[in-house]
Amino acid sequence: MLLTLSLLSFAFGIFYTLYTFDDSTIFTQIDKRVWGLLRFTLYQAFLSMLLSLGVGGLLAWALAHQSAFRGRSILVALFSSSLVLPTLIVVFGIIGIFGRHGYLNQLSLFLFDDSFGSYLYGLGGILLAHVYLNASFASRALLHAFESIPKEKYKLAKSLNFTVFQRFIYVEYPAIKSTLLHIGATIFLLCFTSFAVVLLLGGSPSYNTLEVAIYEAVKLDFDIALALKLALIQLGISAILVVLSSRFKINVSNLKTSHTQIPWKEYRSIQWIQWAIIMIFALFFISPLAVIIIDGLGADFMRIMAEPLFIKSLFTSLSLALVSSLLTVGIALVLSNTLRELSLKTRLGNKPFASIVQGIVAFSGNLYLAIPSLVLGLGFFLIAQSYESPMWIWSTIAILTANILMSLPFALAILSPAMQHTAQRYDKVVFSLGLTPWQRWVYVEYPYIKSALGYILALAFCFSLGDLGIIALFGSDTFTTLPWYLYQLMGSYRTSDASGVALILLVIVLFVFVSVPLLFRSKHA
Amino acid sequence: MISKMFFALLLCASLLLGNDKPTLTIYTYDAFSASWGAGPKIKKAFELEHNCTVKFVGVSSSIGALRKIQLEGKRSKADILLGLDTSIAQVAKKTNLFVPHTLDTKGLDVPIAYHDDTFVPFDYSYFSFVYDANRLKNVPKSFEDLASMPKDFKIVIQDPRSSTAGLGLLLWVKSIYGDKAGDYWQRLSPYILTITKGWSEAYGLFLKGEADMVLSFTTSPAYHIIEEHKTNIKSALFKEGHYSQIEVAGILKSSKNQALAQKFLHFLHSKTFANIIPTANWVYPVIKANPLPKAFETLTQPSKTFLMDGKKVEAQRRTIVREWLDGVN
Repeated sequence: MLLTLSLLSFAFGIFYTLYTFDDSTIFTQIDKRVWGLLRFTLYQAFLSMLLSLGVGGLLAWALAHQSAFRGRSILVALFSSSLVLPTLIVVFGIIGIFGRHGYLNQLSLFLFDDSFGSYLYGLGGILLAHVYLNASFASRALLHAFESIPKEKYKLAKSLNFTVFQRFIYVEYPAIKSTLLHIGATIFLLCFTSFAVVLLLGGSPSYNTLEVAIYEAVKLDFDIALALKLALIQLGISAILVVLSSRFKINVSNLKTSHTQIPWKEYRSIQWIQWAIIMIFALFFISPLAVIIIDGLGADFMRIMAEPLFIKSLFTSLSLALVSSLLTVGIALVLSNTLRELSLKTRLGNKPFASIVQGIVAFSGNLYLAIPSLVLGLGFFLIAQSYESPMWIWSTIAILTANILMSLPFALAILSPAMQHTAQRYDKVVFSLGLTPWQRWVYVEYPYIKSALGYILALAFCFSLGDLGIIALFGSDTFTTLPWYLYQLMGSYRTSDASGVALILLVIVLFVFVSVPLLFRSKHA
Repeated sequence: MISKMFFALLLCASLLLGNDKPTLTIYTYDAFSASWGAGPKIKKAFELEHNCTVKFVGVSSSIGALRKIQLEGKRSKADILLGLDTSIAQVAKKTNLFVPHTLDTKGLDVPIAYHDDTFVPFDYSYFSFVYDANRLKNVPKSFEDLASMPKDFKIVIQDPRSSTAGLGLLLWVKSIYGDKAGDYWQRLSPYILTITKGWSEAYGLFLKGEADMVLSFTTSPAYHIIEEHKTNIKSALFKEGHYSQIEVAGILKSSKNQALAQKFLHFLHSKTFANIIPTANWVYPVIKANPLPKAFETLTQPSKTFLMDGKKVEAQRRTIVREWLDGVN
């Protein structure tokens, strides 16, 4: 409860700092440029969402109907890892494939003696990167929805002689609709606040999102008033979006998968299409990662390792990631505990105020979506400006806070149901045995939420390690993280060193994401 | 054991205290501070003359270095800011973070005389679009040519809000087109591949082959001739004339090494510096020293040059940048 209050008051504090820092210039006028920025931000977020849903939906549909081929589970696991892939790494790989001198152009130059030229910088590149990051994430969730469709419905569709299109309209679409809405809203928000992708691939001021414009106003123009104006607009819109999107809830719980096998196969032509979709997307997804590995292996690792700045940023990144992931787990535990306290009828659930408080607690966990990291960073920045303490303290606090807020929504979504479940199942036993809280934790809670905790830890660690957001405001020659170091290498076009560092970052992230959950694997599950 | 530890501690302490050489911290743009840039050579020469340590801190662009100082405010560790140009120096002066110098700037060898009580010139060159003659055959000879190239022709320029080169281009276009500058930017916009924060990022993109031309300097090809023995990198001569850039340096008010910092500014006008800078930063020195290397004779020599007065630039900088933003949008 206390935590919720502090999270909320923190949000208010940020808003208050932003609001009071500059007296009157904020509401003077929203000029042409700000309008342009806002329009483009919304436009690219909308297009990104549509494309991601389209591609993700097709992929999920194809995967759902091709349910038994070799490597399917690996492929699905790979797609779900896109969540933790650092944006910077993805963009780096995408440039390697689709850049003017990327493999695609080289291939086309080789085959047709003509290249596609440079098409990556601008809206095209932004959309490409957003689809890469979000379509795989969407397909994972949609696949789950497709797989929850009772097989009996498919049988019925077959007996009614539905075409593939009719089957989609009457059987599949109703089942995935709620997931589609929910995922769509999330993707829209993520793209609305997209920073790293637009910073790297935007190319010119005409392709700026509000987040990048805030960054530029501070770092390029030192125009704090403009940054504040943009931050407030951004804050307002994302708050509205979060409130609107919280109405879309996934309800797949009532659908149960039966073990009925479907004995017939799809039409040959449809099968071909499904295979083509899976192949094309797998290629699209894997090739940028492959490029990072191939290019990275050619780097001079001795030289990279000998660079003091590299060692420093690696150390900073790892310690920030460790601290923020541990804190995320702690906060997620406390918040989930409060949530279940409030929602279970056997506890406080039937008190009149419970549902309201529960809503507030849940919202505090989802703060990140409402307060984009650059706005958060700006708030911290202004606080740091008015106090005479070393910059690195503020930088550390700002980055830790942003990283925790970023991981919390995911952590809560994973942990909360698990804890709810243990309480429903074991509350009576625990109370009748009179276990102390410690005993309860050791014997009842921990064994059951262990694997969830491991997953959250890994997720938060990877998020923090790959984050290129606030550090863009706070990064300097004395305070740097691995993504920021990589960004600067890319900026100075020390390509070979950059690909080496990209590979190192990718390896660490994948290693943590795979190995940490294994350490926590529960024997019961 | 204890005595050993004591000695170890003593050793550490003496190492820490023994290092009483003052450190002069200079913020500059990355191409200057880089291992292949002018920074290391300047550092060596100045450290040799004065018993001190010089530390260059490179930021992605020169205006970026100024913003860094503004962000750090009184906490800034910088003693000197090096690498702004005469067009943006007024902005730096207005921050009140800098102190006047003690130099006489008369008689400097610069395109247009520049006298300011705070910032001193240390090198100059002329903005120009640089290309690879092996790849680009149809070289534009004017801004009009540039805006009527084939569709797949791409240039890379710098952001005028972070890079002095980017700002220089805006002033160059403004000097030629006046009220029609906004219109020109609209016409040029389709050819701009990307807009980078600083010069080195843009130049890197060009060298990687991502763009056909890059905004750089008439003196840039000298690097390729002298260091790489390549004569195919050239700078295009534009009929309308070229815009000059005089780079300047200034001392921070918050600096604790005022005397040493003043010495460094004096060093900028020494023969030693003038002999290093042409083949380290690839520009012209501001005082006459040894004759320039032969490669410099082959460089493009603009017959007509522009340079707007710093105060005049500051008066309309925001309008010009806005005009550009609207044009490229």
